Amino acid sequence: MVSPVLLIAVPLGLAFALPLFGLVSKRIGKYIPVVAFAFNLIISLLLIPKVLDHSIVISIGGFSPPFCINLVAGPVGILFSALIALVGLLVSIYALDYIREGPKEKYHILYLLLLTGATGVVLTGDIFNLFVFFEILCISSYALVAYTGEKSGIESAVKYLIQGAIGSSFLLIGIGLLYGLFGTLNMADIAQNITTISPLSVFVPLVLIITGLGVEAAIFPLNAWLPDAHSSAPSSISAILSGIAIEVGLYAVVRVIFTIFGASNIFMFLAFLGVLTLLVGELCAFSQNNIKRMLAYSSIGQIGLILFALSIATSFGVTSGLFQLISHVLAKSLLFLAAGYMIYRTGSMDIPSFEGMGKRMPLTSLAFTVGAFSLVGLPPFMGFPSKFLIVQGALAKGSLFFTVLIGLVLFGTVIEGAYFFRVVQTMYFSAKGRSAFGGRGGKSNPGGNEASVVALIPVFILVALIVGIGVYPKFMTGILDSAASELLNRFEYIRSVLG
Amino acid sequence: MRKIISIVLLGIVALGIILSLARIPFGVSKTKVGGYYIDKGREETGAANIVTSIVVNYRAFDTLGEITVLFIAAVGLGAVLSTRKKHKREQDLEPASLVLYTGCRFLFPLILLFGAYIFIHGHLTPGGGFQGGAIVASAYLLIYLGCRGRRIPEAGTKVIESLAGLVFVVVGLLGLSFGGYFLLNFLPKGTPNVLFSAGIIPIVYIAIGFKVGSELAGIIDNLMEESR
Amino acid sequence: MIYYIGAFGLIFIGLFIILVKRNLIKVIIGLSILDTGVNLFLISVGYISKGTAPIFSKPGIESARMVDPVPQALVLTAIVIGVAVLALALSLAIRLYHHYGTLNLRKIKEQRW
Repeated sequence: MVSPVLLIAVPLGLAFALPLFGLVSKRIGKYIPVVAFAFNLIISLLLIPKVLDHSIVISIGGFSPPFCINLVAGPVGILFSALIALVGLLVSIYALDYIREGPKEKYHILYLLLLTGATGVVLTGDIFNLFVFFEILCISSYALVAYTGEKSGIESAVKYLIQGAIGSSFLLIGIGLLYGLFGTLNMADIAQNITTISPLSVFVPLVLIITGLGVEAAIFPLNAWLPDAHSSAPSSISAILSGIAIEVGLYAVVRVIFTIFGASNIFMFLAFLGVLTLLVGELCAFSQNNIKRMLAYSSIGQIGLILFALSIATSFGVTSGLFQLISHVLAKSLLFLAAGYMIYRTGSMDIPSFEGMGKRMPLTSLAFTVGAFSLVGLPPFMGFPSKFLIVQGALAKGSLFFTVLIGLVLFGTVIEGAYFFRVVQTMYFSAKGRSAFGGRGGKSNPGGNEASVVALIPVFILVALIVGIGVYPKFMTGILDSAASELLNRFEYIRSVLG
Repeated sequence: MRKIISIVLLGIVALGIILSLARIPFGVSKTKVGGYYIDKGREETGAANIVTSIVVNYRAFDTLGEITVLFIAAVGLGAVLSTRKKHKREQDLEPASLVLYTGCRFLFPLILLFGAYIFIHGHLTPGGGFQGGAIVASAYLLIYLGCRGRRIPEAGTKVIESLAGLVFVVVGLLGLSFGGYFLLNFLPKGTPNVLFSAGIIPIVYIAIGFKVGSELAGIIDNLMEESR
Repeated sequence: MIYYIGAFGLIFIGLFIILVKRNLIKVIIGLSILDTGVNLFLISVGYISKGTAPIFSKPGIESARMVDPVPQALVLTAIVIGVAVLALALSLAIRLYHHYGTLNLRKIKEQRW
């Protein structure tokens, strides 16, 4: 049986060895992330059938669970690591051609380590280990946002770094308080003993940990860094940040709340916060002219929607939340990858300069349109069943509070549709006489009209996945149901770790 | 205005933390995990320093994550600082006086030896890979500050850094293949308080010492080059 | 008890500096003070009154009054992570000065809506 530790150990080893490969040949560095994530994807897919019923618990170092670090490869963990490996593989194929300048070898090392950190966060079962892998994720993303070396990139990276570092200090204070109260760092062990301490004393570590993790998960009001960071990074990194980093942050928040604390009276507040985030994100996105900033605000909105769905806290709600999460990952990565090449061809990020893209880059524009429609929730694409399930789940809960909130969610969806349709309209149906607009002075590369083949392959694989799962959503419901039941069923989790 | 708002916010946070801290008495033993490590640590791992046995054996995965973080910082620093055009201004740095120059050259191998002593004896005395690595890097900093104009070869530090990191991961994978657990302590443990004891702990700590030393020296090199 | 007060004093001084000061280098120093305070708090959680270091340096040392070794291992990791963030922040400050010519955070606000 393949051990899930290899999902973390092999990419880590390859990342350490990458400079050595670079000494041998300069060009081999960019193929190593492709190899690493292909390996991860194969192992995750092989492990999926095995974890549907019971989680695999691996202890590192051979000691028994509360006295060692353990990895819990359950349905949620393996689903997330398969998703991370898939998106990592596709974006690294895209980056084979997209990253042409700068210290390329360092880009690939940082990229590999960012996704290794993300895989570690979703697989771990120990709260300090969560902190360490979370820091790996965050610090690589600080360095990658600043990769292009331009003014906007450095400024966004500094602001992101300061906010992220304050967040992780809060997380560490929360972990210290938890250790002082319970005497152990294992998640299952803390979960078992959580009822022995009064709720008021446990409330403060919970708030500190959620604040710390919430900076990375982009929950309102902690998301001030996101629009700058996601719009100034290179497009392949924006795809990874919007697609993976904030989802993994949200996973960490959800894991802490559901499994460790089991705090059931906080869900209404979280649902309210989710809808607030959704409205702020969508309203700000509506007024944007810069396409990457618009997509970044849209990510904030979608995270709010996923948080709302997950805090419905019934099996229906959590399944729909996870489905929406997967749909957002695939659609947002597709949007950023398609937009990346369009920006590269026109040299500017303003929406009016994308006029006529429908004719100049037909395949890329088609992919962008598919991603946009899926995010809004139109029928043949994946966004439709996921949003439909969320509405059903919220109505099935039966309380007035949730019905009001779902009304606000639908209002947010309408606004989202409005701004995405505006972009699609600009791409395909351009008004005459405005084509002298030009860019904001960036470098335009009009050589060749369509994006290169290497960049189009991952884009179209994502399109195929979005259309395929949209037409046949029953493909995913098996694993989503067992993932949802793992999150909601904390006693099962404690039993499988501690025996 | 900004100051008043921040003081109010911090006051609320402080109140919350004090409420929770009242439950954690100061100076009293409260953990079961710590007690287990102190009681069983010496026989299960063979190291006399319990903190080392936790860092390298019981919680070795955290240490792996930690050296990854340091690696990311070094690579990220190199990536951020590298895209600057190198101004070829060879400023005339004032050469160091003879006393300073000779003193630094004399102290350099002694400091390296001290650092190496600390990371080799990590399982017997307080100290270990990170502390020893930091001392080794400070020896290089002394050379940069004292004998100006000397540089350390960049390719050399990169090779040592990568090889040391690989040693750690390979030791872990060997544990996986021999015993079925990643980072299992599979070498014989020997008797405690002897230099060659405690299984893989000295090997891992020596690798960490080299890695941290060369990484910090690389960071110092990048920052010093920036200021020329 | 004095350790808790000292640790939280450092944490709040660090947070105050980050929220209020304008110069980027001062903000980074505040970040470092915040990290130091958090590490001090973590270690003082594990202290036992009149305890000794958890090292069996001579055979025959009794283990009853040893302090808790786990927070020390945690702080080892946390200090290194703090140093890594600090190094990256300083390199970004160098590039930021190169682009803008000033380190005043109120002036470096080119990205608006």
